[in-house]
Amino acid sequence: MLAYTMKRLMAGVITVWFIATATFVAMHMVPGDPLMNDKAVTAEIRKNLEIKYGLDKPVGEQYLIFMGNMLQGDFGISFTQQNRRVNDIIRDHFPVSATLGVLALFFATIGGVVWGALTAVYRNRLPDIIIMFMVILGISVPSFVFAALGQLLLVNINSALGFSLVPVAGWGTISHMLMPSLVLGLSTMALLTRLMRSSMLEVINEDYIKTAKAKGLSPLRIFFKHQLRNAILPVITILGPQIAAITTGGFVVELVFAIPGLGRYFVQAVQQLDYTVIMGTTVFFGAFLVLMVILVDILYGFIDPRVRLQ
Amino acid sequence: MATTLTAELTPELTPDFTAASHNLSVEQISRPSLSYWEDAWIRLKKNTRAIISLYIVIFLALFTLAGPLVWQVDPSLQDLNQISQAPSWPKTALLAAPYERWQPIILDDFPSEPDTFPDVIPAPDGLQTIGLATTQQIRLRWNPVVGAGGYSIYRNNHLPEGLNDLGLPLATTMGGNEISYEDRLNLEARKYYYSVVPTDGIDEGDKYVTLEVIPTIAITRAEATARGLISAASDLPEGASLTLHFHPFGTDYLGRDMLARLMEGARVSLFIGICAPFLFVLIGILYGGFAGYFGGQLDSTLMRFADFVVALPFLLFMILFKIAFGIGPGESGIIPMLIALVLLSWPGTARLVRGQVLQIRNNGYIDAARLLGAKNSYLVLRHILPNTMGVILVSLTFAVPGAIFTEAFLSFIGMGVAPPTPSWGSMCNEGVKTMLSHPHELIFPATFISVTVLAFNLLGDGLTEALDSRMRSR
Amino acid sequence: MSDRILEVDNLSVEFATYGGTVKAVRGVSFHVNRGETLAIVGESGCGKSVTVQAIMGIIPMPPGKITGGSARLNGKDILGLPAKQANQFRGVEIGMIFQDPMTSLNPTMTIGDQISETLMVHRGLSYKDASALAVQLLDKTKIAEAAKRAKQYPFEFSGGMLQRAMIAQSLACNPAVLMADEPTTALDVTIQAQILELMAELQRTENMSIILITHDLAVVARMADRVAVMYAGQIIESGSVDDIFYRSSHPYTLGLKEAMPSNKGDRDKKLSPILGSPPDLFHPPVGCGYFARCPYAMKVCEHQQPPEYLLAGDTTHQARCWLQHAGAPVNKRLYQTGANHAD
Repeated sequence: MLAYTMKRLMAGVITVWFIATATFVAMHMVPGDPLMNDKAVTAEIRKNLEIKYGLDKPVGEQYLIFMGNMLQGDFGISFTQQNRRVNDIIRDHFPVSATLGVLALFFATIGGVVWGALTAVYRNRLPDIIIMFMVILGISVPSFVFAALGQLLLVNINSALGFSLVPVAGWGTISHMLMPSLVLGLSTMALLTRLMRSSMLEVINEDYIKTAKAKGLSPLRIFFKHQLRNAILPVITILGPQIAAITTGGFVVELVFAIPGLGRYFVQAVQQLDYTVIMGTTVFFGAFLVLMVILVDILYGFIDPRVRLQ
Repeated sequence: MATTLTAELTPELTPDFTAASHNLSVEQISRPSLSYWEDAWIRLKKNTRAIISLYIVIFLALFTLAGPLVWQVDPSLQDLNQISQAPSWPKTALLAAPYERWQPIILDDFPSEPDTFPDVIPAPDGLQTIGLATTQQIRLRWNPVVGAGGYSIYRNNHLPEGLNDLGLPLATTMGGNEISYEDRLNLEARKYYYSVVPTDGIDEGDKYVTLEVIPTIAITRAEATARGLISAASDLPEGASLTLHFHPFGTDYLGRDMLARLMEGARVSLFIGICAPFLFVLIGILYGGFAGYFGGQLDSTLMRFADFVVALPFLLFMILFKIAFGIGPGESGIIPMLIALVLLSWPGTARLVRGQVLQIRNNGYIDAARLLGAKNSYLVLRHILPNTMGVILVSLTFAVPGAIFTEAFLSFIGMGVAPPTPSWGSMCNEGVKTMLSHPHELIFPATFISVTVLAFNLLGDGLTEALDSRMRSR
Repeated sequence: MSDRILEVDNLSVEFATYGGTVKAVRGVSFHVNRGETLAIVGESGCGKSVTVQAIMGIIPMPPGKITGGSARLNGKDILGLPAKQANQFRGVEIGMIFQDPMTSLNPTMTIGDQISETLMVHRGLSYKDASALAVQLLDKTKIAEAAKRAKQYPFEFSGGMLQRAMIAQSLACNPAVLMADEPTTALDVTIQAQILELMAELQRTENMSIILITHDLAVVARMADRVAVMYAGQIIESGSVDDIFYRSSHPYTLGLKEAMPSNKGDRDKKLSPILGSPPDLFHPPVGCGYFARCPYAMKVCEHQQPPEYLLAGDTTHQARCWLQHAGAPVNKRLYQTGANHAD
């Protein structure tokens, strides 16, 4: 298991290197001189930056400097916000995005497992049909529509109550987080529900369920100890990629609910062509996602003995 | 054991013990033989949801391609008489007289400054409109109130529920004898609630009166001529009614026809939604097929690279690549988005096709064909490609909603197609800003995205089931 | 008749599928005596597995449906009981092992836990006691290093070992009957022999009855005291193992025997397969199910179900074939006891 973890981490480091390189290449494909494009750069910052990044140097050398700084965990200084380090920006805004994402993933996983198990139990009966209809909606309706509808719902609830039960936008308290994370988790929840349902139906036809019945176990025990436990496994494997999907949705939700997350900051940086922020954020997000996928795989190993012991 | 008999002759039963003539060696074929695709088509036809989805997809294609021929309205034309109109039948408007400056009503026989100061200033009565209330102007008057030193006029979209809910403050008249107000502020053909609150000259009182007004659409001769509603030489009398441009799906915040924009937006969304998957699935087939067919070191190197591409944070790189490829002035940014999408999306199909090819390559019939002297090209064309077509078709169907979503996401956060080019995503982006007052501007494009994605998803589900060879035996 | 532990009478099972209703089991009756082995033989799809699964109440319902009959365990009808009552005999009085040990054990639970689960549920043992007993059971089924093996997962076992573990699990509550659904089909031939030997030995020591389902006549010959031959959802012949092998009274039994290789040295003798395929049980034939494939078919066979004939001079040997009718023509290859052909 340790060897497996080390191997995965090594591969992860190479992947992050690839992401950093791709980011560098993409940024250098953008037409024009990064500093020329921006009027906000004063002569003072410009001089500092040129020294720091060696923008007058050839591209190859710039790449080496870029990688060197990145290895030391230094993403540089923002182009548009004088003397604000990209590291500080990430430190200030990433926890917000991460909290949102973790909450969304939490809702999505709990919801997906519960709904999926329910649909399998009530297979082809009314609860199954209703939930699967919602699932198809959840997969087909873009998250910004859910975000807008969620906001509309809050506006209506608040105006009906006459006071602000749950804030419509912004960030800070738990009540701020509820609606955005729920909205953000919806499509993942729908996907997981679908997966859980088919997984449950597959497991129920397995021979070992027949064995469990022949052993004289109660239906409840069979459901929890034999069916549910095995059905959850494939759901866990897809959590890694789903974290990436939730990050993507996070951009939109942060925008609609005016949440000061890193996604919104990235969009803003792109609009202002703030090169260091764009590069730093991209590499950071990439590394984070790679790490998450590895973590989920390792977690999976702990749950599934077939992976853990081989 | 009721049926058990002893082996004795039962007299009433004399069975026919002559030998039966039947052929033992012939196996009967009970079901007709069907090709893979015939069989899949039959099963798809039984799937009602998939067939409805197929019709929806066909409808969308017609909507996009033939729609603009039927509904010949310029999607970027701004109909300023009908801004943010909800869907409706064609509306008529009055031809308004040219605007004449209106003198406010100031009573001479009433004091401007109050001479008495009652504790409570009563609400004025007799609040009414003067002349016809039109979208050109709404003129109000009311009776003066003793003790008032002026009046504040408010306008709201719903019936006010209290002093704090009067809506938009329009003006405060100076003097208790100025008892009229003319509203010309962005009037639309909808219900307004005007409230008048008397003031003591400095502070507002807490009694008010409210009047409900629905203005008639009116349009000046100059505007009507400019919109092409009447010709310049027309001698249509003032006050006559004329028919405005018809907007069956309403208009957006700039008065542009929603139906025309939805059609134009469909072109962008479906162009990306269908072209990008075709391109990246094609690349994926070539890449994955190549890796899978040749295998070995080449395969692992190629797939390692594909893994790297998969690890790139998708939306961030979509945005990065999009700005990297650049949008020149006047360009819509569709092509950069298409390229970015293709660059980032091919590994999924490549993995799938590679897996499929590897699996097929190890099948006995491939070895058998090879032993019979089949060439590589024959193997690929006759055996491998046809057997991967099912998987490819399914992944293509599922790639379409993904691509449509990506376009919508990017356009929604303002990183997609550049205005004024509409796409469903950018229309949602505009619609979400006015969703509280004009929900149709969000609902229509959002519905189109959802229904399209839904249709392709259900079609994909249907195809998966129909093409699944495990289902064939049933 | 005295010691019948399980008695099944006229059992019928149907499955509702997309294509229609499959009449998988059509009026099956048999019994098992204490301590004996009954083999149910037949080709794939003849309904032998469905029969025992219906008795155990583990066929999925729907689509499955028990349409008639009874199954009495020690005189008490156990057919179609609700889960709560059924669980009083499942795993307690009747143990069951399945065809493929690789897929019949929960892949995410240790072997020991799966065995002790039965003990905890039925005997109310604590986890610790149950685990200790599970190790003993594994030991009894001749699994080396049982204590260590109990902590392992199914994927760490070989097929033969898993089947031993399955047997240990099914024996947990000392059942009176062990149902073995093709227990050796998925195993290597050498392992097969070991498992069969183990079953025979445990049968002696525990004094169990075994219902052995198989399509392998060699296994039948080795294990069974009595045999029931099933075809197209019906038992077409039943009797002692000698009756079936040496006094075959149904053309299908004869066909099965001739399709089996023998080691008697007659190398030139060709194996003769049974031609054709079993009938479509969506629309079971009106007459004899074997009619279409029977080399001795008569006109009566096509339209009338043969009754079950008790062969003379024997108390248990029965056959469901018109050739056993007293007026039927003599067939030299079949054992016939009717009036026309009494020997």
